[in-house]
Amino acid sequence: MDADLYAYITRYSNKFQGMNKIVEKEQLNDIVVKLVIDAPRIAKKRKAGHFVILKINDKGERIPLTIADADPEKGTITLVIQKVGVTSHKLFLMDKGDYIDDVVGPLGHATEISRVGTVLCAGGGVGIAPLLPIARAFKEAGNRVITVLAARNKDLIILEDEMRACSDEIIIMTDDGSYGKQGLVTHGMEEVLQREKVNLAVTIGPAIMMKFASLTTKKYNVPTIASLNTIMVDGTGMCGACRVTVDGKTKFVCVNGPEFDAHKIDYDEMIMRLGAYQEQERKDYGEFLQKLGN
Amino acid sequence: MADLTTKYLGLSLSNPLIIGSSGLTDSADNIIELEKAGAGAVVIKSLFEEQIMLEVDASLKEAYQNDMIYTAKSETLDYIDIHIRERTLSAYIELIKEVKKKVMIPVIASINCVSSAEWINFANQFEQAGADALELNIAILPSDEKTSAEKIEKVYFDIIEKVKSQVSIPVSIKMSSYFTNLALMIKKLSETGIEGIVMFNRFYTPDFDINNFSEKSSNTFSTPAEAGNIRRWIGIMSQKVDSQLAASTGIHSAEDLIKQLLAGAHAVQVVSTIYKNGKDQIQKMLGGLNMWMDENGYNTIEQFRGKMSQAESANPSAYERIQFMKYFSEIK
Amino acid sequence: MENIQDTLKSERQQAWREELRKSMKAKERTSIDRVKMLEQEPHVRNRNHDEVNLGLSEEMAVKEAQRCLDCVEPTCITGCPVGINIPKFIKRIEQGEFLESAKVLKETNALPAVCGRVCPQEVQCEASCFYVQKLKKDPVAIGYLERFAADYERNSGNISIPEVEEKNGIKVAVIGSGPAGLAVAGDMIKWGYDVTVFEALHEIGGVLKYGIPEFRLPNEIVDVEIENLKQMGVEFRTNFIVGTTASVDELKEEGYEAFFVGSGAGLPKFMNVPGENFRRIFSSNEYLTRVNLMHAADPNYDTPVFSGKNVAVIGGGNTAMDSVRTSKRLGADRSMIIYRRSLEEMPARVEEVKHAQEEEVEFMNLNSPVQYFADENGNVNKVRVQKMKLGEPDSSGRRRPIPVEGSEYEVEVDTVVVAIGVSPNPLIPASMPELDITDWGTIKVDKDSMHSSVEGIFAGGDIVRGGATVILAMGDGRKAARGMHEYLKEKVGKK
Repeated sequence: MDADLYAYITRYSNKFQGMNKIVEKEQLNDIVVKLVIDAPRIAKKRKAGHFVILKINDKGERIPLTIADADPEKGTITLVIQKVGVTSHKLFLMDKGDYIDDVVGPLGHATEISRVGTVLCAGGGVGIAPLLPIARAFKEAGNRVITVLAARNKDLIILEDEMRACSDEIIIMTDDGSYGKQGLVTHGMEEVLQREKVNLAVTIGPAIMMKFASLTTKKYNVPTIASLNTIMVDGTGMCGACRVTVDGKTKFVCVNGPEFDAHKIDYDEMIMRLGAYQEQERKDYGEFLQKLGN
Repeated sequence: MADLTTKYLGLSLSNPLIIGSSGLTDSADNIIELEKAGAGAVVIKSLFEEQIMLEVDASLKEAYQNDMIYTAKSETLDYIDIHIRERTLSAYIELIKEVKKKVMIPVIASINCVSSAEWINFANQFEQAGADALELNIAILPSDEKTSAEKIEKVYFDIIEKVKSQVSIPVSIKMSSYFTNLALMIKKLSETGIEGIVMFNRFYTPDFDINNFSEKSSNTFSTPAEAGNIRRWIGIMSQKVDSQLAASTGIHSAEDLIKQLLAGAHAVQVVSTIYKNGKDQIQKMLGGLNMWMDENGYNTIEQFRGKMSQAESANPSAYERIQFMKYFSEIK
Repeated sequence: MENIQDTLKSERQQAWREELRKSMKAKERTSIDRVKMLEQEPHVRNRNHDEVNLGLSEEMAVKEAQRCLDCVEPTCITGCPVGINIPKFIKRIEQGEFLESAKVLKETNALPAVCGRVCPQEVQCEASCFYVQKLKKDPVAIGYLERFAADYERNSGNISIPEVEEKNGIKVAVIGSGPAGLAVAGDMIKWGYDVTVFEALHEIGGVLKYGIPEFRLPNEIVDVEIENLKQMGVEFRTNFIVGTTASVDELKEEGYEAFFVGSGAGLPKFMNVPGENFRRIFSSNEYLTRVNLMHAADPNYDTPVFSGKNVAVIGGGNTAMDSVRTSKRLGADRSMIIYRRSLEEMPARVEEVKHAQEEEVEFMNLNSPVQYFADENGNVNKVRVQKMKLGEPDSSGRRRPIPVEGSEYEVEVDTVVVAIGVSPNPLIPASMPELDITDWGTIKVDKDSMHSSVEGIFAGGDIVRGGATVILAMGDGRKAARGMHEYLKEKVGKK
């Protein structure tokens, strides 16, 4: 890549503090990258369910990313990022040894982990990454963990080995049948719900997926947690950009969530609000890709 | 043992005795006790616009005395009523949720509507919180000589329209009797599709002391004498409208209860008699109803409800008798 | 208070002050008209983000300073929340000693360039000025003069950095880098403490950066003040949320002996009107943070903002003014204020309202939104507004707005900003349940020492007051610094 372009992507602001170095980078597939970042304080306090807000450089946006993993001893946190727009694409292109200007966390409430019996974890696409630490935690707490992973095709199923390692059973669904069974995440969930009693379900993924996953578990009266990923600016409860309606009341995903009772969320409103900058973002991303020479 | 079950607002009540909106129904603990004492349903103490204003005033006073809290030019103080309303609303919703978790009897949320704007917006939040039905308490004293009757009536219909468009749970309206053509008003209200009409709102009447020329409180509690007017109108309207009618004010004893049912009420609301006589009054009244039903060979309430209403009465014009003298002369 | 009165008296009797007073007769002074601030033309400035007020020239400043009568009993000082020595700094200007004037300001006010711009002088120092009180004339333009002195110093490059006492090795933590926190840091560092300011956001300055727009308070000015603090030795740590990134207890273990909580009132409030969650309806915090902090209006910055052609801002305070004037600068055809009381009752600074009117902001007073409507994508396109009339006054003396039945009508909008006040940030109180808080969510403190119910934890600014002003936050910060200093002297002295 052109040196100027690379500098533009990874440019340090004039307040370079030498923090948040990328110590490891692994590409999980064509569009998903795993970054391990040096952030000792966050690594120490982080629990499953927490997220960070990150800003690459002085011109960058603040975006929320769930902490997929952390190593308190090494002082690192792991983020899994899918390139869908300008900022995520920039992260995708950054290298081991680069620095990220601003990383703040751990934000949000940690997942409430307890021993309930059987936990059904349903993850869609890049939602699998934040689901992993939660599945792990429930397994460690002594639960039977059944995991359903879903994506459009085989390439988009990520972290399969890690998920397998912490699940008693794993079902993989792909839209096109290129891996596992053909179908949607709800099909995989139904299979489980019909044959055995499930005490708790957790669902993370695109909003529309969580909506239907939630409708599925509602049929069987299984208490369900959904972890939401809305637009955010500050992430500390200051601006209200991330507001959702849960049980008729307005809640902020950044300070009241990110997890809520899946059956009480107004998904349609959330999906509507998620699209607020779609047009602008598409245009910006298009221009960015042109700059890259794609 | 007679079967006292009643259907009011489409809800199944074990009996027609509802505890009305009051200090008796302002907390989960109180409502649990009322359920234990046998109440058929409760109306949670109303959310009051005036109450908010009092809280706002109290907050403002506090803010001004404590110069650390919000300054005079504070934007928040400027909109403090909205902040307080939100807090009060949250607390009310939490109360509905708590009560619904702890009791089995139907729980009716109550909103005091002074204008057609504010509280109406929250009606669907009460539904979400689990309220079984809503009671809209529209208490307008027609004391402004510049406001036409039409304008006042329109407020009722505006409120009902707004609320019904928001919720799917049954809605009832507690109305006053200050209408030129009360029968027409009740008919029109019923035609909105509203599930229940509570007759009537009881207005507090201010009194004054003739010796120190100051305001004093009076008539905090109702008297059984006030039930006569209720009974008349229940009797006249109960068979003429699709909405269910609930009687409220002055129902203190089993006999009062029976009379309202005979006039055509589906349920009654009581407050004063519980304050005066304690929660045991519930069982006393229901016991009296039971005994009377047994004595008269009734197994269910539907068998005698409305028997003495105008439509079914042997002497319908008795309901419209307004002159005392006329009554006496008829007898002779 | 007695020593202060004596000090003022003796200062007034100094030779240079006497000379100045003699140099011009009182009658001459009072015949000078109050200076008019140079401003950008309304039709030019409502399309740019440069400062509206251009500042006084040296001549204008000296002339205005001559108006000040150097009263025997300077009532102006009592109007100032931090008690700036107003006559002294003004007389330095009259004398032509502009740098000395700035020094005087810095004795009591850590951020004079900020306060000169954003203080509501019309209800503080200027309201107590002799001219207003006794002569019924326009007051001395104390605010403009404060700004002049501070700007002069900054532009001259000769910024006076107060002397720092010998380091005492005691670590103090300041939580929040807004005006309260900066004021605490400024004093504590002077007295030899090791000061670390922890800030949740990626920029330092709090509301000075994210809340107040460039055209009122350029971020560059805030940065100069912050740089001064850094030069004195204050350490700033951004992206650090005390309560989550590290708890107060953990910081205690790291050696911090006292804490100041200045986390502000950032929690946004909505009206709970139907449709308020449609797209393009923002809290003022979100709208201003995107534009001021994230530079969303600048295409070189990645953060977007949507600000359309028909913008309605709900509210009547400074935040509402900032939002509506920002919308004009972002290209709105109609920028409207929808406020439920009258124009005179708006709590915004008088100058802001005047500037907004000049910039062609439409004021829809005695109006309140009752419902929002949106298109099929969920973008707000209409607001139903109800007219208000004023009823009985509440206990604040302000008349209560009452809806006028049947007066609803609709206004086309494509952007709405809700600016009806804020609540204290709940993070710290939530992470410290033993902290006494009021029903409002504010932290309870002792009025004089700003000490909270938890030993070693002090607080000030909006987290104690609810949404207040920059100068009050600074005043709290300075009081808290004194309180912390006393507390630490005792605590460490015992060791």
